[in-house]
Amino acid sequence: MDTDVNGRRCPVPESGTAAGHLREELGLTGTKLACGSGVCGACTVLVDGSPTASCLLPADRLTGRTVTTVEGLGGDHPVQRAFSDHDAMQCGFCTPGFVVAAAAFTDRWRAEHGDVPAGREEIAEALSGHLCRCGAYEGIFAAVAAACAGEYDVGEHPAPPRPDAPDKAAGRARFTTDLGGNSAWEGVIVRSTEPHARVLKVVPGRARTEPGTGEADEPVMVPLPVPDGVVRYVGQPVAAVAAPTAEQAHRAAGRVQVDYEPLPAVIGTGEARRPGAPQLYPTTEARDGAPAYGEAPTPPAPWSGNVRGPGVVSRRGATAVDRLRRAHRNEDPLLVAQEYTTAAQVHSALEPHAALARWEQDGSLSLEVSTQTVRKVVTKAAAHWGLAPGQVHVRAAHVGGGFGAKQGLTTDVVAAGELARVAGAAVQVRLSRSEELIDGGHRPGTRTKVALLADRRGRLRAMAVDSEGDGGVSVGSNVAALGALVYGRAPRRLRDFDVVTNRPPGAPMRAPGGPPLAWALEQAVDTMAERLREDPLTLRRRWDGNPKRRALYRKVADLPLWRDRPRGARTGRFRRGVGLAASTWMYMLAPQARVELRVVDGAVVARSATQDIGTGIRGVLGSTVAERLGAPNAWVHVEIGDSDTVHGTGAFGSRSTTSMGPAAAEAADRLRASLRERFPEFPASGPVDEHTLKEALTAAEGLSVVGQRRTDRWGQLTPSMANDLAVGRGLSGAVHVMEVEVDTLLGRVRPTRCWAGLGVGRVRSERMARNQVEGAVVQGVGYALFEERRHDPATGTVLSDDLEDYRLPGPGDVPETRVHFHQEGFEHVPGSGVGLGEVCAVGVAAAVGNAVHDATGWRPHALPVRPDRLLEGLR
Amino acid sequence: MILRPADVDEALAHLGTGALARAGHTGAAPPEPPVGADVVDLTGVEGLRGVQPGPEGSVRVGAATTVAELAADAGLARSHPALVRTAGALATPEVRASATLGGNLLQRNRCAYLRNPAFSCLQDGGHGCPARGGDHSRGVVMDAGGCVEPHPSSLAVALLAQGAQVELACPEGRRRVEAHELFSSGSGAGDHVLGPSELVVAVHLPAKFEDERVGHLRASSRSRAEWPLVEAVARLDVPAGTVERARVAVGAVAREPLRLPQVEEALIGTRAERGAGEGVERAVAQVRQGGTPLPLTGYKVALLGAAVRGVIEEALADPGR
Repeated sequence: MDTDVNGRRCPVPESGTAAGHLREELGLTGTKLACGSGVCGACTVLVDGSPTASCLLPADRLTGRTVTTVEGLGGDHPVQRAFSDHDAMQCGFCTPGFVVAAAAFTDRWRAEHGDVPAGREEIAEALSGHLCRCGAYEGIFAAVAAACAGEYDVGEHPAPPRPDAPDKAAGRARFTTDLGGNSAWEGVIVRSTEPHARVLKVVPGRARTEPGTGEADEPVMVPLPVPDGVVRYVGQPVAAVAAPTAEQAHRAAGRVQVDYEPLPAVIGTGEARRPGAPQLYPTTEARDGAPAYGEAPTPPAPWSGNVRGPGVVSRRGATAVDRLRRAHRNEDPLLVAQEYTTAAQVHSALEPHAALARWEQDGSLSLEVSTQTVRKVVTKAAAHWGLAPGQVHVRAAHVGGGFGAKQGLTTDVVAAGELARVAGAAVQVRLSRSEELIDGGHRPGTRTKVALLADRRGRLRAMAVDSEGDGGVSVGSNVAALGALVYGRAPRRLRDFDVVTNRPPGAPMRAPGGPPLAWALEQAVDTMAERLREDPLTLRRRWDGNPKRRALYRKVADLPLWRDRPRGARTGRFRRGVGLAASTWMYMLAPQARVELRVVDGAVVARSATQDIGTGIRGVLGSTVAERLGAPNAWVHVEIGDSDTVHGTGAFGSRSTTSMGPAAAEAADRLRASLRERFPEFPASGPVDEHTLKEALTAAEGLSVVGQRRTDRWGQLTPSMANDLAVGRGLSGAVHVMEVEVDTLLGRVRPTRCWAGLGVGRVRSERMARNQVEGAVVQGVGYALFEERRHDPATGTVLSDDLEDYRLPGPGDVPETRVHFHQEGFEHVPGSGVGLGEVCAVGVAAAVGNAVHDATGWRPHALPVRPDRLLEGLR
Repeated sequence: MILRPADVDEALAHLGTGALARAGHTGAAPPEPPVGADVVDLTGVEGLRGVQPGPEGSVRVGAATTVAELAADAGLARSHPALVRTAGALATPEVRASATLGGNLLQRNRCAYLRNPAFSCLQDGGHGCPARGGDHSRGVVMDAGGCVEPHPSSLAVALLAQGAQVELACPEGRRRVEAHELFSSGSGAGDHVLGPSELVVAVHLPAKFEDERVGHLRASSRSRAEWPLVEAVARLDVPAGTVERARVAVGAVAREPLRLPQVEEALIGTRAERGAGEGVERAVAQVRQGGTPLPLTGYKVALLGAAVRGVIEEALADPGR
């Protein structure tokens, strides 16, 4: 009963999965568990050389076989080096699985074809069992093709833009879900089985509920906060249980009994709007307690039954409404009034929400958390447990994706902290994929009515947007409000509503509100162009005053993809079309951003309580400091994802690079000045020769400086709000041009090529910036064509709770993407550039919609553009 | 305890004591066997593996042959291309490497209600079907009452098109049945008609057509790695450019894979270079008219018609091998 794992013989257990055995018994945590059902490929290992999903493989099947995990590839397989060099990853959680499968493919390819690059289709086919939620497929295609061509067999390659890339490609990077080992207890969450009910009693079964009682390894149970004692959706956390092993914890959780007094539930938004429908929040107090999914504080709004709103943003709103009403009465052909809907999009980062909590002897709390806001976890945890902020230590060394859902004190953190207190042991809580897809956060579905009116000369005369957010029990939709930022100063009325139902709450997701507005508005603009018998680009160039986008429109006009697009009615089964869409986003910043530089062992260590969720901020900090200091990259070590240092920004609001980068530059300048004081030979600017650098740093051992972000010229647009969030001056812009091929027989849309132009000022790391933009195209394609959370209409139970039924785009579903940066327009910002993580995500689905219309003459109104909808539309 | 029988008789003896059969173990999140239950691992059983040529162009494929082996078998690609293409298009390379022919035929259906322990239905010993009044948007279009989840096996569709027979073994002996006899459109529980102590041992494929042309088509939203909304397989015998024999099968539309005899008949006499004629169109329209869709599966009736037309066009245009 033996197996050979990475060249070592070891025994094989009779039960459990191969993945569990490799990770927990052998400590080979490079093999990741993300879906547990053989869909995502993160757990792929080679069994006798063949890529195998180890999460499905019974451990006993390893008997007599030879297993190679990502660790067994040694870190210097050509594919691993190619992945680092081509930046074929973001968060890195899926990377080991991709690397293992790609290594097998590359070796086989070269044996069969020699050292020639494999094509996109062949690579997509070989890697079709893998999903990257960040969407780093462009880099993956490039890396695998280059490795096939033999470009990474020998030779030195320059340091990769992402300094942790080699660790991620080798499976050495340890994420929160990898840290518990055998010593931490496993915590599981007990969730509501009722859509709407008062919780009468939570009976712990045989679990103990107080610290220091009972046997040391008896399971423990804690209640989780249920505000006002009412659960409002199936899957709402009610309690949590921990035990020394996962199996024991699940058994103990099964014995927890929750007594409910059921209340009438309301599942659909139509039903919720009906007079006399059961109310989720019958009192003012209950309404105030409704969770909100906005990133900034949600402004107050009136309620009527289950409907909240409108929240109104207007510019000469009465004029806009008058003009639109008159145009409607007169049946004005230049009035475009349409309704568009979007489906709930689930964040579903491949590393699930996870926390590992330990209470120290001195009463302080140590938390390892998969979070995008280290600092906010400190603040909120301190408030929750009545500690001073200095008594909470939060670490997030590597974070397997976030997209907005991993902010603050999420359920996993509360549960782990509470359970660890009662258990007197370290406790880890890691959500299952099912929990992640049910209650891990989502971009709420929307229903948006948009009306545009143009005059005979084609000028925009009025705009109205009424949008309804379908965020389950939560509120905070801001779709219509974003209409204030686009298409000049024409009169407009923008109203946002929320309709609450007994379904899980939303969470902020990459450019909250942006993609649904663009989906509606950008298609309405194309419709208007059609009515005006005008090219959609020409119309936008007239309506859109944003100087960055105007520069991008000039590029689009010369783009072969746009210029040479097919014209006229298309026929045949497969029809090609090209569409474009504009994106706008606010420039946000973190005014408090700081970076500490310390000279340690003759090198520079950069520290800050920020975190890298795949954005590449680790690389930006390192390269910025190195460049300003005149030192090679290798002399700067970046240690982030730890709260025990200076303040760093949370990874939301596209703020990391534009906030942390200038703070790092400032810190490097200070360090340089200090080094010059001690060591006058140190030059004031430019590269420093290694000898001088070494002497200066040796002499300055222990020196520490802190750099802070300089303020923008002309200051900020808003003061700093909670969360170290402020809005700066100037809007970022993007334009996407998308080509699709529509199979009119089977109703499938295949995006083939995409051009993404970004106006975000100066870009600090071109390759990593491109990666973000490419990833946003992937997520936008998912939003446009595949992703849709489904629920049972009677109970609200989420049915799409695995990655087969919740469909993320795979490598074969995404367009070949080219990215262009227009690097002007933010000279008032230190570093001359702003963030791009959100603006690049806004208009992707809208561009797909316009391309589908261009190809077929049918305009999609509902997302996702499923085969059934397309076939119905083409009938 | 994991039992590793050496041959079929030993495997059957274990199954007779109530042990649970295990093959590729790739069903999405397969249930852990109850604690203490015996598991019979079938992957090492002699006679269950491999592709063996038989008399007169027929082929025997062992039930524990993996889908990847099927898809990569060069001889089978020449003799039975419809099966090979179907095998190569299902699931993902990782799943195909573990999944077996027998497991694919006998797999459990994919209903989200069945997977969710909060719901009970006639598939798990309860009554009724929560999907019928709930979300059944990927459900059947040939409603026979009862469960509304389509049969999940792609290979079953291909086997119907291949005219395959399935060799079964039970303690009383062995027998062969036509592939469609493994399945039932009835309203009962389960996704096949095998008893707990019966095994699929092998599949027997009759010889290819003289001038065989094939088509295979999966309708889905993503390009790969997705359960089909409709799947269609066509095999035509086209000596001298005229269809003389035809087998057309479809999946994901009913509780069992289906052959379409009226379409097959209509295809006889079709000139390949002229494409499907009016008779075939009429037969496809009949298939559509025979659909009894659920409230949310009306679109699948149209998709079924489109897929059948598409797969016939593909087969007629197939250069053959």
